[in-house]
Amino acid sequence: MNRYKLNIFISLLVLVSLLLASCGGGQPAGGDTDEGPAETQVLRVWIQWGDNPQQIQALFDKYGDLAGVKVEVTAPLEDDKVLPALTGSDPPDVLVMSGGDLAKSYYKEGLVDELSQVIKDGNIDMDDFFPAPLTMCQQDDLILCLPWGTDLYALFWNKDLFEAAGLDPEKPPATMEELVEYADKLTKVGADGKIEQIGFVPDQAWSHADLYVRLFGGFWYSDDGTQLTVNSQPVVDALAWQQQFYTNYGTDEVLAFSSGFGEYMSPDHPFYAGKMAMYVDGEWQTGPNFIPNFKPELNYGVTAFPPPADHPERASTIVNQGTVVVIPSGARDKVASAKLLAWMMSPEIVAEEFCFNANLPTSKKAAEDPCFEALGPKFQVFVDLMASENAFAILTTPISLELNDAFLTAEEEILHAGADPKMLLDQLQADYEVKFKEAVGQ
Amino acid sequence: MEVMSSFKFRWPPRMPKWSRRERHNFRTGLLFLMPWIIGFLAFTLYPMAASFIYSFSIYHSRRPLEWVGLENYASLFSDKLFWQSLNNTLYMVAIAVPLSLLLSFICALLLNLKVRGQSIYRVIYFLPSIVPTVAGTILWLWLLNPQVGLINNLLGNLGIDGPNWFKDPDWAKPGLIMLGIWGMGGTIMIYLSSLQDVPTSLLEAAELDGASWLQRLWHITIPMVSPITLFNLITGVIAMFQYFAQAYVVGGGDNLGQPLNSTLFYSVYLYQSAFLFLKMGYASAMAWVLFIVILVCTLLLFKISERFTYYAG
Repeated sequence: MNRYKLNIFISLLVLVSLLLASCGGGQPAGGDTDEGPAETQVLRVWIQWGDNPQQIQALFDKYGDLAGVKVEVTAPLEDDKVLPALTGSDPPDVLVMSGGDLAKSYYKEGLVDELSQVIKDGNIDMDDFFPAPLTMCQQDDLILCLPWGTDLYALFWNKDLFEAAGLDPEKPPATMEELVEYADKLTKVGADGKIEQIGFVPDQAWSHADLYVRLFGGFWYSDDGTQLTVNSQPVVDALAWQQQFYTNYGTDEVLAFSSGFGEYMSPDHPFYAGKMAMYVDGEWQTGPNFIPNFKPELNYGVTAFPPPADHPERASTIVNQGTVVVIPSGARDKVASAKLLAWMMSPEIVAEEFCFNANLPTSKKAAEDPCFEALGPKFQVFVDLMASENAFAILTTPISLELNDAFLTAEEEILHAGADPKMLLDQLQADYEVKFKEAVGQ
Repeated sequence: MEVMSSFKFRWPPRMPKWSRRERHNFRTGLLFLMPWIIGFLAFTLYPMAASFIYSFSIYHSRRPLEWVGLENYASLFSDKLFWQSLNNTLYMVAIAVPLSLLLSFICALLLNLKVRGQSIYRVIYFLPSIVPTVAGTILWLWLLNPQVGLINNLLGNLGIDGPNWFKDPDWAKPGLIMLGIWGMGGTIMIYLSSLQDVPTSLLEAAELDGASWLQRLWHITIPMVSPITLFNLITGVIAMFQYFAQAYVVGGGDNLGQPLNSTLFYSVYLYQSAFLFLKMGYASAMAWVLFIVILVCTLLLFKISERFTYYAG
């Protein structure tokens, strides 16, 4: 080989090496590297949510010290990073997702593992889970994820605004019908026809249709998840009930007013700023990162969302949502992932993590930890609701995300554009019936 | 038969034999091109070929592809969201691109005038185009906020009840068009440089012959800058067919297409199908349809432009 050819060969070799290096994964996650026993194993935990990344890292450092490994936490993780990571050659060892919606879709695609063996090997006590959040992860006999923390939604009301409107500040509405009346009394419209204060916005911040539909006695899937029931009467009634909060005051006026609402995590939040008298939100609002942080002097109450007047038995209805943990099927060291998952599910770790962030635990033993009581009586309302007989989980199927997206568009069209609920939901049922049957293998 | 028998196969003419030096130069050139060639093969040609194959299948990342033939393409035509996203995109192509070209040209004409402080005006017009897309979009979300936005307040002072902009499906796209026009500094600069290349001798000759400003503009300036108009038109059309970032920011990532799918553009729906609904095969079919639509539009524009474009020399 002459010198010229040698130069070309070396240059090509360098280029190809650079290319391969840039395409290759990062540091191997597993411990089975050939680089000698001195190398500390690195486990990667990716978390889709995370208000306090440093605190989460500190929590996982404890596992690192315990197991003699290094745990790298990435939080919060952007949604669109998840799929490329799961399909790539070097996914994280444990993935914490902000909801269970996609666990079934990911399992169907072979991207996450079924966890029965992990549960067995890690001695994870399945009886310690509250039943409702666990159903998010169950598909027949399979367990596709494990719920870590859970969220509940309830009604918040501003006592000062109640008093100013001549309502008893200690008496929130007892029925959905009463809530409509209260909202009317609490809404102020100026001489120019513009809204100055609003009683209730049913979809404040995001949709709460799942809760309202449950209160009307149904859901958009049958309880066993085998039927699509998106045009059933409870769904139609729930959307029609929500619609009146827009049509009563003029949809454009309500939209214009709500467009001026401040950021969710800021003192300008419409509920904190006294622009909205009642709304639906989760337990974290009562914790140190939200109302006590942004508006400590706010005089408010929180209670379970009221049922319809003719169905008092539906009192304390809740719909569990929240974070779930999966093990990617491409994880390098499944044993290490399983051990880490088992540690995450231990009641003391669940209590520590969710107490700090004022979220609800999925472990019954963790819920007894005194730290939750220390979060105050308003947080306790949510802890008590966890044991409700009317506790449901958000039902998920392999087409949850696509259907939810279409459902949200339909809800938006009904609430914000005055569309007829029945007609639109019939159309949705027709559009998705076949896709749903295919997805659930019928 | 006679025709057949008269046919004779001919080998293509042989390449002239290269000298040792030419071969050396060729190899050296190839070596310098290698980074691009490897990049092109790995990051352009391979993904294109893969997406073409995926478009005829159901893609599973960890299982073999399921061959479905033309099913993905057939499904597109019965998918309401596909048509809605195509309509939204065509709206932008048909309205935003010509409007942006017209206003850019007018701005460039003004910035070409010899007035005091012209360089400052040029900087002012160009500045928005260097604002990052996400930052610019968030800024306009606030400017067009129906309750506290500057624009509706301004309209209110004039006695006009401003629309709900990004909360109203009828006004969301016009809001995005305004955002696009605000950031058209790049197009203005390209026009400006081409206006400065219009031969002054032609303009002076026309002026001496008594041509008015409008006649000089119509008969000299516009034809002379027509190749630039064609360039801006084609790049504008291609960019608009791929419109994504601004719509993604308006949708906040979680509510893509809001309000009421009025900002669900083709690329947004493609992204949603691939990365949120895990329908990679379907999204690949969408990508190939988009490729063909853009190709046809570009060829059509080239064909039509032959009559309206003047290339000096």
